[in-house]
Amino acid sequence: MLELERLFKAVYLWLERISGSLGIPHFWFDLFTMILVAGIILAVMSIAAMFLVWWERKIGAHFQVRFGPMRTGWHGSLQLPADGIKLLLKEDTTPAAADKPVFLIAPVIIFVASFLAFVCLPFGKGLIVRDLNIGILYILAITTFTVVSILMAGWGSNNKYSLLGGFRSAAQIISYEVPLTLSVLGVVLLTQSLSMVKIVSAQEQVWNWNIWKQPLGFLIYLTAAVAEVNRTPFDIPEAEQELVAGYNIEYSGMKWAMFFFAEYTNLVLVCGVATTLFLGGWNGPILPSWIWFLAKTLFLIWVVMWFRWTFPRVRVDQLMAFGWKFLLPLAFLNLILTGLLA
Amino acid sequence: MNIIKITANGIYNLILGMWTTVKYLFSHAITLQYPKERWPMPERSRGVVVLTTDPETGKLKCIACAMCVKTCPTSAITMEPETDETGKKQRYPKVFQVDQGVCIFCGLCEEVCPVKEKAIKFVNQYEFSVYTKQELIYDMEKLAEIGKGSK
Amino acid sequence: MTEELRTEEFEVNMGPQHPSTHGVCRFVLKMDGEQIVDLVPHVGYLHRALEKIAENRTYLQYIPFTDRIDYVSAMFCNYGFCLALEKLAKVEVPERAEYIRVIMMELNRIASHLIWLGTFALDIGAVTPFLYAFREREKIMDLFEMVCGQRMTFNYMRVGGVSRDLNPEFIPKAKEFTDYFEPKVDEYEDILTNNPIFLARTKGIGVLPKKLAIDYSVTGPNLRATGFKWDLRKNEPYSVYDRFSFEIPTGGNSDTWDRYMVRIREMREANRIAKQALEQIPEGDFRKKVPVLFKPPAGEVYTRVESTRGEMGFYIISDGTTKPYRVKLRTASFSNLAVLPEITKGCLIADLVAIFASFDVIMPDVDR
Repeated sequence: MLELERLFKAVYLWLERISGSLGIPHFWFDLFTMILVAGIILAVMSIAAMFLVWWERKIGAHFQVRFGPMRTGWHGSLQLPADGIKLLLKEDTTPAAADKPVFLIAPVIIFVASFLAFVCLPFGKGLIVRDLNIGILYILAITTFTVVSILMAGWGSNNKYSLLGGFRSAAQIISYEVPLTLSVLGVVLLTQSLSMVKIVSAQEQVWNWNIWKQPLGFLIYLTAAVAEVNRTPFDIPEAEQELVAGYNIEYSGMKWAMFFFAEYTNLVLVCGVATTLFLGGWNGPILPSWIWFLAKTLFLIWVVMWFRWTFPRVRVDQLMAFGWKFLLPLAFLNLILTGLLA
Repeated sequence: MNIIKITANGIYNLILGMWTTVKYLFSHAITLQYPKERWPMPERSRGVVVLTTDPETGKLKCIACAMCVKTCPTSAITMEPETDETGKKQRYPKVFQVDQGVCIFCGLCEEVCPVKEKAIKFVNQYEFSVYTKQELIYDMEKLAEIGKGSK
Repeated sequence: MTEELRTEEFEVNMGPQHPSTHGVCRFVLKMDGEQIVDLVPHVGYLHRALEKIAENRTYLQYIPFTDRIDYVSAMFCNYGFCLALEKLAKVEVPERAEYIRVIMMELNRIASHLIWLGTFALDIGAVTPFLYAFREREKIMDLFEMVCGQRMTFNYMRVGGVSRDLNPEFIPKAKEFTDYFEPKVDEYEDILTNNPIFLARTKGIGVLPKKLAIDYSVTGPNLRATGFKWDLRKNEPYSVYDRFSFEIPTGGNSDTWDRYMVRIREMREANRIAKQALEQIPEGDFRKKVPVLFKPPAGEVYTRVESTRGEMGFYIISDGTTKPYRVKLRTASFSNLAVLPEITKGCLIADLVAIFASFDVIMPDVDR
């Protein structure tokens, strides 16, 4: 009944018939559908980011036995549009001695990187933009673009502390990419395919979910993913208590909002990938597939928020030590065990 | 073996911390939504300074002894006693001004007032914000009015 | 011929407004790369000339000012001043008044340690214990407001006792609070004490050797964490503290974790003392009347009180009139802050934030 896949297919066929009857060449029709799909993904991203920011504030508040936003709209649901309007109206400052092209392009790149990775995320049965047969490799490669963007932001601000913050953030993301990739390799070994749809199809039943077969891999993936998205306990770049602030101190207004939203869309992306790899993707009885995907992703996002509101922050050198000396050998161990036992 | 013990201990304590916080997620929040809900203030709470009136005669109970003026640590009270035709001081104030902006709400003026039922008192009304500093200087009529209103 | 690689030191200002200097304190740090080589604290941003004001106020008028020396633990400052005057003028305090004073002081100790716990956890990065600590603190402040009318600057103690008697509903409510509070400390410990991230941030950081602490006159929980068992409530008992059984927690390694543990255990002990005092409180007078324009005999007196941050001393020179000739305040945070440059050599800024938070220094105490 709520099968979105059939709805999309029906709309596509109807549009094709109209364009055929109007005599428009197929090339333009393909371009139009591609732009339409990109628009849908953009809309989904934005709505997801807005919802998540509201959800984080409410969940964080309830962890702290208080209410969170209550006055704007029903229980603060209009808080995000209000914040968005405020950010749009803010003065857009650029430091005088900044490297202008670099400074301006950095927020664009980080947004584009998150956006591109959504191409390969299976939102439901048949609801994937393009099922590349190197799906998971593509996603891991695209998410590395955030490092480039952060370094550009740090460099372009022409600020000593911003540069140091950018370096730190980049080092953090690069070091945690390695255990992340290794834990994903465990799942790939089991499924013998890199395609996202095949990975989900191999987890049809609950007892087939990869989390039972790769518990260590799941934990390593979750820890590395939290470090990738710069969230507590690994949120050194965002901590106000540190003197060396993050890479985005010189940004204001809409450019800063881009970094902010990119963080939340990265979170959705990373939890979506975790759902696909370990929790069975869109598999589930009765309800439509996309609702299952949404529910599982939201559950993982809730767990990541739970980490944020409970744990203290790790110091920057301890963070690197933890990534290289603890997670990496553990990830190798996981890979060896998977190879031996599978 | 030591590293395994340390890791297991670490994971156990992390989960223990998470369990402690999640219990509060599902309990009701304890904060008040301020303008709609207000906390009932205790009786002795020191809000704004007022002058009390005698219900039978309708005049202020103050006898213009100036003890509160002398005791106020920040000199927030100004008082002038009434004088009759010969210039002799009466036991009634002519001018009584309290600058609520200078007052530190210590309660000493109430403590040293010699009148039996305290001519100068603190009431637990705390919402008296205004837009100009001049409005914070309360004269005799305003002090008496709030004093009557909060009995 | 080898050339050594020389790194330059640079100065960084951790300005008066910063989220983790508790109050307005300015640090000028000399850094070599990531590590701190030298630290110079600049204080005085909160100086209100409280000692000079005392020369122009009568003794009764000065008691609200003593509240503002350390507004987080105002009962101790009130009490120290009154104790000094009672010693000078040889005023006897009725027993009920002493018990009320002890209850108020121990409740205030719990409240002050709760603020410390919240801000310490916040500086390390855990944001939730702050809200939990303030929830407990609200209950204590409600108790205070019920009795003396104010939540923070109480103006409650007087020479010869306290200013007002307890309401009839205070004792049941206070007993209810002490029962409610005990499992809450267990909760704070669950979140923080053995958390591996917290241990990595605090174990072995900011070690304060015992000799250095004694040389710099560090007092209070910071001194007790070095292993030196010194508490004025046991070593030089005043008021009725000798009638209660309580322990003095000390630490072993004198690092940040030990200072944290000593304060957590002190909260439990303060709760214990308050429970015992609420059981044993007798009926009677709450105040021995002294004249409003109190004139102690000429002379000088020095008394010290075990406040939450350490030793709080009052030195009063009276010349026989209603106004003191000189009041000198010896505050604990001033000496505690002085030892900070010695123990932060070679640590990172994240460590500096953790060490400074564990020292429980607040700026009104330093600047007066």
